[in-house]
Amino acid sequence: MGVTVLQPYSVPEGQTGPQTIEFLAKRLLALGAVQASTFIVDCETFIPNPQHGTPKTVHVLHNSEYPASTFAVLDTGTKQVPLVADALFDLLMLKMAPAHTSKKQTKIESKGARFEYGDFLIKLGSVTMAENFKGILLEVEYRPCVIPSNCWELIRELLQGFLGVSIPATIPPYFNTPSIMSMNHPKSSEIFNPNHTKQNDVYQPMDTINQYLEHFGNFRKQTMLSGGTGIGAPLRS
Amino acid sequence: MSTLSGPISTAKDALSQAVQSHIIPNQEYLLQGSILDSSVEHLLHRLKGLCDNVDTGPEPFHDHEVCMSLRTPNQMALQLRVRRSLDCDAPHQLRYIGQAELGDRSRPTLVRSSIDVACTSTVMDFLTELGCRVDFEYTNRGYMFRKGRMKITVSKIFKTGSNKPGEMGPEPISQSYLVELSVLAPTGQDAIGEEMRAFAEQLRPLVQLDKIDYKRLG
Amino acid sequence: MSSVEISVEAPIEHQIQEIAYDGTEIYQPPLTLSENLSKCAARIDFSKTSLEDLKKEDDKKGDEDVKDPTQLQSSLWPWDSVRNKLRDAFTEICVLSDVLSIAKEKRYLVLDPVPQELQDTKPMVQVYARKKALSQAANVLMSGAERLRNTHSEQRNNRNDFHIELLRLRQNWRLKKVSNTIIGDLSYRTAGSKFMHPGTFEVTKAEEDPPSDGNSPSSSPAAGAQPPCPKANSALRVNVPSELQGVAYIKVITQKDQEDLCTANVNLMGHGQNITPQVGVWQKTLEFAQNVLFCKELFSQLAREAIQLQAPIPHVVVGNQIRATLLPGIQLIISLCHSTGQDPTPPGPINDHDHVLEHSLHQLLREVHHKNTHHPFPHPASGPLGPSKKHMLAGPMAADRHELLEMSKSQTLLEQIISQAQHIFMRKRTQYVLDTLARDVKDPQIVSHWNLMNSPTMSCVKINIVTHGYDTINRTSLVIHVKERSLKCICRDGRVMHLSYEPQELRDLILCQINQHQSACLLNLAKCMAWQVLSNSNHLGIGPVEPLGNASSCLLASPNGDRMIAVQIICDPQIDVKVYIARSPRQDFFPSPLVPGKFWEHLGGHFKEVRFDKLEGKNFLNKMEFLMASLTSSS
Repeated sequence: MGVTVLQPYSVPEGQTGPQTIEFLAKRLLALGAVQASTFIVDCETFIPNPQHGTPKTVHVLHNSEYPASTFAVLDTGTKQVPLVADALFDLLMLKMAPAHTSKKQTKIESKGARFEYGDFLIKLGSVTMAENFKGILLEVEYRPCVIPSNCWELIRELLQGFLGVSIPATIPPYFNTPSIMSMNHPKSSEIFNPNHTKQNDVYQPMDTINQYLEHFGNFRKQTMLSGGTGIGAPLRS
Repeated sequence: MSTLSGPISTAKDALSQAVQSHIIPNQEYLLQGSILDSSVEHLLHRLKGLCDNVDTGPEPFHDHEVCMSLRTPNQMALQLRVRRSLDCDAPHQLRYIGQAELGDRSRPTLVRSSIDVACTSTVMDFLTELGCRVDFEYTNRGYMFRKGRMKITVSKIFKTGSNKPGEMGPEPISQSYLVELSVLAPTGQDAIGEEMRAFAEQLRPLVQLDKIDYKRLG
Repeated sequence: MSSVEISVEAPIEHQIQEIAYDGTEIYQPPLTLSENLSKCAARIDFSKTSLEDLKKEDDKKGDEDVKDPTQLQSSLWPWDSVRNKLRDAFTEICVLSDVLSIAKEKRYLVLDPVPQELQDTKPMVQVYARKKALSQAANVLMSGAERLRNTHSEQRNNRNDFHIELLRLRQNWRLKKVSNTIIGDLSYRTAGSKFMHPGTFEVTKAEEDPPSDGNSPSSSPAAGAQPPCPKANSALRVNVPSELQGVAYIKVITQKDQEDLCTANVNLMGHGQNITPQVGVWQKTLEFAQNVLFCKELFSQLAREAIQLQAPIPHVVVGNQIRATLLPGIQLIISLCHSTGQDPTPPGPINDHDHVLEHSLHQLLREVHHKNTHHPFPHPASGPLGPSKKHMLAGPMAADRHELLEMSKSQTLLEQIISQAQHIFMRKRTQYVLDTLARDVKDPQIVSHWNLMNSPTMSCVKINIVTHGYDTINRTSLVIHVKERSLKCICRDGRVMHLSYEPQELRDLILCQINQHQSACLLNLAKCMAWQVLSNSNHLGIGPVEPLGNASSCLLASPNGDRMIAVQIICDPQIDVKVYIARSPRQDFFPSPLVPGKFWEHLGGHFKEVRFDKLEGKNFLNKMEFLMASLTSSS
């Protein structure tokens, strides 16, 4: 287990998604990375049936990197409650079907090849929503380290190295949120230290899921804005 | 582990495949009974002799269970139970228990569908935010035994929350212990029922394990 | 109920009173009604209850007298006797009422119950009944006595009681009764074994006399081949199935080119020694049989794994032998030896008795047994039985693919024993290399400290290289982790080297370390002696090519700079040292056309080799110290 950073990659003008992915894969192989099977991260969103009060949506995610687990995030609008459970949690969601229904058209997933490159694990994911290609999401994991702020520079350097784009030097905004640990603490307001953000905390698998959720949300918004035709639109996060 | 080498398959596909091939234990076969505090020692002695692992002795446990229900208009309430261990560091257990089927006389045990999901401690928050209301909660403390696939628990149920400052310890709900004999098995393994009945027979007349109909209890 | 009505009346035929000589029968005239009534009345026995004392004598006369008085009295008045009797009865009733009134008043008399004598009616019947009962009781006693006599004689023959022996057997072994036979269980099933062999034995009573031994149905030819009860003085006999008879052990041999390196025998028979004398000989028989069963289970498990395992060099299972290749040229041979011969003596003590492998094999199977029965309990208690704690945590703790893969991995018995044997072999080899080096290389001393009690597949050795008398100057230490097929060497400067199982690699490494130790010590020594180090190289790169890298060298200058020492340390199989000295300027300088001025002498050159072996000193550093000291002082 290490630190994972997600990076969207915009498809250059005049190229299709698969072409871009093939191009990136070739670069990785040329660097000396080895392909090690494939991966998939999927996300399904459930919304409550009777729309009363604040909408509380439940996102259920699976990550093939953690095959025994199901991740769920309950979004109340004001706060997010994460839950990590056995794979059987899906059966339980079916039982909740009368109360929550899944919006099929928002089912979104990122899948593709998985490369091992020394201590790095790189995943080239093509994001599809309801079978439509939405964009490219890169996942880079640096495995020997668990504190994001300690290895962000390394990851950034790798990303710049093989993408050939300059990446902002600041850590992605996700890591600047207060850490879950301190948020869950009963006296969070007393002990909260503004410096104790996620980047200085031990990285959890849930952090990967939260990043995916954030990026999936961006893809969905962008679809809604551009009326579902925003293929290859430039992405900034 | 099929996801490691084969083509990409989603977790859901794998799960539905597992459900179809009946490898997920989702049926609970259950017999229940009770025994007075004064004679529980005898029962524990007999269980020690009958069950596996005579050398290690019974396994103590101390759990806290909260029963919650998710109510939706014009639907039956969905009951969920959250259970956590108070004496050792283990994941919380989220459990759905379906309607108990008593069956006719020929059926040896009560059968109910059951989904056990181990999860993180955030589950209480999660369910509360989801709109679940707490129906009741209790702690129970006792011993576990196993005999083959069968699990036998002998436990005392205590009230929680009503603990006045002057009182000593939690207040027991009754003067007796709950005895449960259960097996969690995939669908279609009804043969286990007979095995359970035979075992329950050996505990008589100390404790009479039976199919308890909750609806009749009111 | 309205069925046939039956009327009962006297037969019409009259009673015959007399038969005349001519054969005519004289009939008695039938009685009239009144006669009949008086006769019936006369028959009433008034004396039955109350008057038994008075009428005793009359009764005794029997029934034949009854007719006579009636016939006699009938003449005078047929009812006379009845009247008399009624009167008697009346008198008696009066007396009774008087007695009762007296008794009731309690003023004059108190009645006490008097034990009544039993009325002995029909004495002959009683006599017969008593006789019969007595004979029955006698029979019971007789049969009991017979049985006692039998058991007594049996005891005299066998000196032991079957039932007491059975009780003792029951205390040590599982027994159950199936119809008329007693079946015992010597399998390890209750301990968690899943071996399919039933492992049962039968308990019978020993025959009384030796000749019947042969034709008894239980001691079949198999039992004859291996007498289950060698001594006859046990009343109990256990019949072990023929395939469990005899003596079995598992032999493990590590072989290198047909030469045995180490051998282990798994043999549990040693346990039989501490049998208490009360326990019969069957205890030994059963322990042997259980040992056979254990060895069989162990071997069948190993054989199954040997076939299933995909080894680069496939394992070979032939008959009772499994061959596995540990390292190139080195084989592990596990064989099951089972002798059902007459002599139960073990085939001689084996000299190369390796307690470690013996214990490991034993322990491994016991561990499997233990795992089969000891599953973790779920917490909280409502969880499913079965998955281990790790698996329960995998979901909520989001175990990744690698962790899950590791969880699903498990080593088979054969793999474990192979890796243990490999490790033992590697350890011995490492020990051998280090020991021979320590023996051969005397100058820097090689001290190794072993730590090998912690794990069956990993041990650790710390090597210190010191020079005697100079151990404060420098000490080279390194740690070697001995694994199953490889070595990991960690030097003090943090370098980590992975070596293969070839002993030469380790040898070379140690030689290089010695080499470096010598030159490092020399540098430190020079500092102490205030000599200057002009140059130092671990890999000289010039001179003849050495088999192990290059020689190391250093060049030292005396404090005032007029002397130089050059040292070359070669580790060409043996550590060899060459020392040269030079002096500049030379004391005796004669100008020549080629070297006109003395200042050219400062350039040095003219190194002369020192006959190092002739130098005074115990070791290299000692000699160098002397050399430096002498060169310093002379200047």
